[in-house]
Amino acid sequence: MSRSFAIGIDVGGTFTDIVLAAPLGQIATAKAPTTPADQTEGVLAALALAAAEIDLSLSDLLAATEQILHGTTIATNALIEGKIARVGLITTEGHRDVIEMREGLKPERYNLRLPPPAPLVPRSLRIPVRERIRADGSIAIPLDRASLDSALERLAAAEVEALAICFLHSWRNPAHEAEAASRARARLPGAYVSASAEVLPEIKEFDRFCTAVANAAVGPIVRDYLARLEQRLVAAGFSGSLLVMLSHGGLADIAEAGRLAAGTVLSGPAGGVAAGAALSRHGLGPSLVTFDMGGTSTDIALIQDGRPRLAVPRGLGEARIALPSLDIATLGAGGGSIARIDPSGLLQVGPESAGADPGPACYGKGAGLATLTDANLVLGLIDPEHFLGGRQRLDLAAAERALAPLAARLGLSLEETAAGIHRLVNARMADGLRLATVRRGVDPRPFTLLAFGGAAGLHATAVASALGIAAVALPLDASVLSAWGMLHTDIRLELSRTRLDPAGIEAEKLAADFAAMEKEGRERLAWFDGPLSFRRSADMRYGEQVFEISVPLDGLDWSSPMLESDIAARFHDRHEALYTYALRDESVVAVNLRLSVIGALPDLIPARLAAGPPASPVAERRIVLSLPQIVPVYEFAALRAGQELSGPALIESPGTTILLRPHDSARLDDRGWLSLCPARCETRP
Amino acid sequence: MPDPITLAVLQNRLAAITAEMGEAMLRTSYSQILNSSRDFSIALIDAKARLIAQADHIPVHVGALPSAVRGLLEAFPAPENGAVYLLNDPYFGGSHLPDLTIFIPVFTGSGPRLFSVVRAHQSDIGGATHGAYNAAATEIWQEGLRIPPILLSERGRLREDIVAMLAANVRHARDFRGDLAAMIGAARLGAARIEATLAEFGAATLAEAIEAILDGAERGARQIVSAWRDGTYEGEAVLDDDGHGRSDIHIRARVIKQGSSVTVDLSHSDPESTGFVNSSYANMHSSVAMAFAFLLDPELPRNDGAFRPLRVIAKPGTIVWANPPAPVTLCTSHCANEIVEAVIAALAPACPDRAMAGWSRRFRIAIDGMDPRTRRRFIWHLFQARPGGGASSAGDGWPTAGEWHSAGGLKFGSIEVTEVRFPLFFEQHEFRPRSGGAGKHRGGAGSTLRVRVETAGPARANTAGDGIRHGARGILGGEDGAPHDYRLAAPGAPPRAITTKETGIVIPPGSRLLIESSGGGGWGNPAERDPAALARDAAEERA
Repeated sequence: MSRSFAIGIDVGGTFTDIVLAAPLGQIATAKAPTTPADQTEGVLAALALAAAEIDLSLSDLLAATEQILHGTTIATNALIEGKIARVGLITTEGHRDVIEMREGLKPERYNLRLPPPAPLVPRSLRIPVRERIRADGSIAIPLDRASLDSALERLAAAEVEALAICFLHSWRNPAHEAEAASRARARLPGAYVSASAEVLPEIKEFDRFCTAVANAAVGPIVRDYLARLEQRLVAAGFSGSLLVMLSHGGLADIAEAGRLAAGTVLSGPAGGVAAGAALSRHGLGPSLVTFDMGGTSTDIALIQDGRPRLAVPRGLGEARIALPSLDIATLGAGGGSIARIDPSGLLQVGPESAGADPGPACYGKGAGLATLTDANLVLGLIDPEHFLGGRQRLDLAAAERALAPLAARLGLSLEETAAGIHRLVNARMADGLRLATVRRGVDPRPFTLLAFGGAAGLHATAVASALGIAAVALPLDASVLSAWGMLHTDIRLELSRTRLDPAGIEAEKLAADFAAMEKEGRERLAWFDGPLSFRRSADMRYGEQVFEISVPLDGLDWSSPMLESDIAARFHDRHEALYTYALRDESVVAVNLRLSVIGALPDLIPARLAAGPPASPVAERRIVLSLPQIVPVYEFAALRAGQELSGPALIESPGTTILLRPHDSARLDDRGWLSLCPARCETRP
Repeated sequence: MPDPITLAVLQNRLAAITAEMGEAMLRTSYSQILNSSRDFSIALIDAKARLIAQADHIPVHVGALPSAVRGLLEAFPAPENGAVYLLNDPYFGGSHLPDLTIFIPVFTGSGPRLFSVVRAHQSDIGGATHGAYNAAATEIWQEGLRIPPILLSERGRLREDIVAMLAANVRHARDFRGDLAAMIGAARLGAARIEATLAEFGAATLAEAIEAILDGAERGARQIVSAWRDGTYEGEAVLDDDGHGRSDIHIRARVIKQGSSVTVDLSHSDPESTGFVNSSYANMHSSVAMAFAFLLDPELPRNDGAFRPLRVIAKPGTIVWANPPAPVTLCTSHCANEIVEAVIAALAPACPDRAMAGWSRRFRIAIDGMDPRTRRRFIWHLFQARPGGGASSAGDGWPTAGEWHSAGGLKFGSIEVTEVRFPLFFEQHEFRPRSGGAGKHRGGAGSTLRVRVETAGPARANTAGDGIRHGARGILGGEDGAPHDYRLAAPGAPPRAITTKETGIVIPPGSRLLIESSGGGGWGNPAERDPAALARDAAEERA
């Protein structure tokens, strides 16, 4: 059998999702419980289920699979739960506290009783070494071997599992870091070694050091997990390539993902954003807001001109990671968010969440905290018998018991309280989404809201109409969308280097740097046999400014005698677009050069849904919006292409329930998504 | 009275409006002090000068904004809907001259009459010295351009002639214009969002909701205060000097806590000074409000209701409330920090688990010289060497997180970038061991900074600040943090101490600045410190 399948695997907090694509665009999906102790168990179990879906054995399926594309939360969980490797830091003498000084910043301005958190490397494992490189790359103090060796002895004695090597100005001259890394690998052969300029060769020591430290903290864990996964897949018959989703939304082989372990922290959510980009290409239009509403939080990302945005840096637990990553904003509200009364006596929802365990009160696992899911259950919006496709039964009485004390404090009925929680979440989501888009300089109204994740369907049209968004799309495979997105992603390598010419832009040096980076990209992706493409950009600013803005440099004529002024013009135009003015006589500096190396995987043929007689409701249910009413219930999978529905109605799928409010309308597109038109939208398509 | 859900929605909405205004400000402002150090604040304030909602930016601004609205209303008793007003003068409701405040009234129909307010610190405001901090000033005219409340727009358009006049009186006209435009843009955005909220919910509902939100915050604050021990308490904090020969200037707070009310009486503070350490009325009031807010729950909304339990008494002509034309520019750090510390120290016995030990004092230094690599003049402002935060019942103080008035909100820049852009070489920038005051919980460490000035010729430096003799205060048995110690070591000369209010210090090439910044105060008896924490302090070479 030829190797013709591609498989997307997304390991989430609760479920491991699989989407399997066959050569002619057929799709099969499977879900198995995630196995936190060893995630490879859940992956293999989900693969076996997927194989059974298409009547193959696991080994036959794996033998016929060209690529496995994988999103993992291994690094994210390690950082959030603090279960990280024991890390030692070797750093420039006189500067051992960079990571803990945090540039002078502390969160929560009015909370002066907030104790400082422990840094990822305690001070006793931050060992200074005598060396110093100057800003121009020259050596002020040569690397002192004796001091390096004694630092390595101390860290060996402390039994560190990983080492970060962080010297000042290694962005300019990495020689000392390279030498220290090579001696460290020799002295501590089992340890994971992460040199700052290898991870992020850019100026600004706080970002670079923190990134190297975070990389070391999760490096051994990610590397070991990927090795184990590959081993098990190979043992089960797989001989294709295993690729890992990185935070920037592209794929890498497992060697690169292991080396750049901190670059996997958005591996899971990146799949959802990749799905958005793919749906954008396949007809959903160039401007999307992805709205992934899950159990504890809601992830929001923008897709403009069909492309997701990148941003740096990002905090996660105590880690700070400045690698290019998708610009995903997170709101602290989801199905598990806990409703409570705040100190001023008002109802609030979140940011605390009941998580998956104990979960909402209706899961019946104890605590009995009132959550959004409990409110939605009381309102009749969720069917207690068919939650997660019937895999979990919900306890309505437990939800009512949890809401009762809140109702008493507010002087409202149970249903009024539940409706209030539902409405408050809608309003908070709309406010948060507006802020998340405004912060990125974008007016959300002309965008299509792409809703997915377990809780999105009940809130999407209300949120959209509050924002004036006229179009909402909800894909059929919404509950496995991240895994689906991985099938529609390219291989990607992000390279960068800091330039900083005091005299301004020097086009020849810039061109030479890009050429060198292109060469490096070709070498590092030599294992990939498809065509490579390159995207260039630079982080630039006016000489006296502090912040750089990212300026795309594609489509320039690199041999033009006018190159310098062409590049400057790109910057001025971009500055004017962002900040409404440009200072065209001021000198312009390029700080970081960035090259994206992209290896395109074959685009999958999207399946077309069959048209047919419209499906009828499968049931009726009493729900409470502002008033109680009886509404029809449809099954998502039974709807036919082109079928139109109008609210009020519920549409159920195993992963989510969609609420059509009164006067909302919906139509099933033949490419597999439901186009929703919220009632109060300002313009109708 | 709106239903409880509408109330919750509107409270979130008002907070979201101020957050959105803040984001707009951050994205569009031009000067580094705004887009990097974020020295600006946002609020919605009503026509009774009540704070309705605010975004958490600079604590010392927030309690001052209602005074600014009061000043505006005295000059313009009937503000025009949608017009743009401007103010900076501390004797007309402002705090100090570098802080400009923009107001746009939303006074439509029968709805609540709200001002959309943006305050931002300018990098220069004219006056005798660059950068607004003039240690030599003895009257306000030497400190910069005074702007009493003025109407900046006419029939919906900005008065370009007035903007040009203002810009002509400051040193960085382009920054000034860019930042002013950003402030007006943010205030207009706020006004538009208020109007949309009025349209969505109706004027009556919004007006009633505002009353209920303020009342709710008042109930929350009173409930917290009620739990504190009743009594009359005394606290004080001491300024080192005023730079004009006077030392040990006392700020004295007598605080009466009874039931759910707190009265802070600062009238026994020392008389006003010749120099710029005096406070304006608005800044004094704001400092007391800031101290009170630090003692409440962080999640209680900081609006007019939350401050209703608080009454402030002070006397004109004292250091905390100077008479015109005394200079006041340093007041948002000094004596604001001392006012906060005196109030919190007084209340520490009443609410020991809420009171925190002293955060540090500000000590700024600016160097003006020639970069031999580019042959261009540079001005470098020291933001590194952040001092330590105070300890509390919850744990040790934050290291290098700063002063009371910034409380972890002031960012210092990359040393690598600084070395690329300035002829400076940072030999050391680390925690200063043993600088945090001992206590059951230790004060946060200050910094040790050793930096070599690699100019070809002499450079010059100015300073502004306080705290080289009096450290951040320890409370409830905790010890004070070590005070600042700044020295200049010129080649071939013994190091000499740098004081906090000097101008024209000559720095020969190759000199080193040897800076030890102050540590935060300790909380509780040092003998009660957890042995494991003591062992960690030793292993980590912190204490």
